[in-house]
Amino acid sequence: MAIAVFFVAAILAVLGGVGVVISRQPIRSVLSLVVVMLALSVIFLLLSAQFVFAVQIIVYAGAVMVLFLFVIALLGPARELGRGRLRFQSWLSGLFVVALLGLMWALLQGVQYRQPEKADLSFFGTVQSIGLGLFTTYLYPFELTSILLLTAAIGAIYLSRKRVDDL
Amino acid sequence: MSTLNIGGEQLDASWFLLLSAVLFVLGAAGVLVRRNPLVILISIELMLNAANLALVAFSRQLLNIEGQLFALMSMTVAAAEAVVGLAILVDIFRARDVEDIDDLSELRG
Repeated sequence: MAIAVFFVAAILAVLGGVGVVISRQPIRSVLSLVVVMLALSVIFLLLSAQFVFAVQIIVYAGAVMVLFLFVIALLGPARELGRGRLRFQSWLSGLFVVALLGLMWALLQGVQYRQPEKADLSFFGTVQSIGLGLFTTYLYPFELTSILLLTAAIGAIYLSRKRVDDL
Repeated sequence: MSTLNIGGEQLDASWFLLLSAVLFVLGAAGVLVRRNPLVILISIELMLNAANLALVAFSRQLLNIEGQLFALMSMTVAAAEAVVGLAILVDIFRARDVEDIDDLSELRG
């Protein structure tokens, strides 16, 4: 069962990823990315990361993607020109992408897995274990991310405000 | 090779890493090939998601919660990146119609 679930989710994720790249309209790219995120959330569940699964659906597939949809609705459908100004760009990027995939494949062959630590799988990945990590050992990075979010919010408000000289 | 026992079945950890690599490369292809700034942002999100998958897979393989914590941090950074990137895009689009990311290259020295 787990293997079947993994392969269905993986195939959906790859198809969604292809859809992100080849869709002509941005809205279809966004919807394909939602498919990728939902498939990845299923895989997170397989990897016993329940809390990350919930955050993936609520924050990513919910909030971030709705933000993208709002911006597309605001800007209207954008046309995509066939080619860029740089000649051979698609040819070169195809070459780069194939080389990158080959490099990652080669890296994967050489991965040396360490022995897993002793952990209780019924506890691993639960909200309790995540909270224990976030509020004890990693309290300082956790607080830093709240500062990062505040900075991003202020920056977004500053950038998208109506300017006086526009009026 | 390292197998993970999931629900009584053996899944190889490298399958998850391979899926992560494929998704990352698809995102990189989107950044390189597409011309629309919005789609480039979407492709960056795809790459961040692929990196998250690798983090969570290694976290499960080592049975160490730190990978999942870092995946949560990276989701926060991705959300902040999307918000600021979209705000910049809206600001640019308000000034003029951009169909190609190369139209925004006049700051180049």
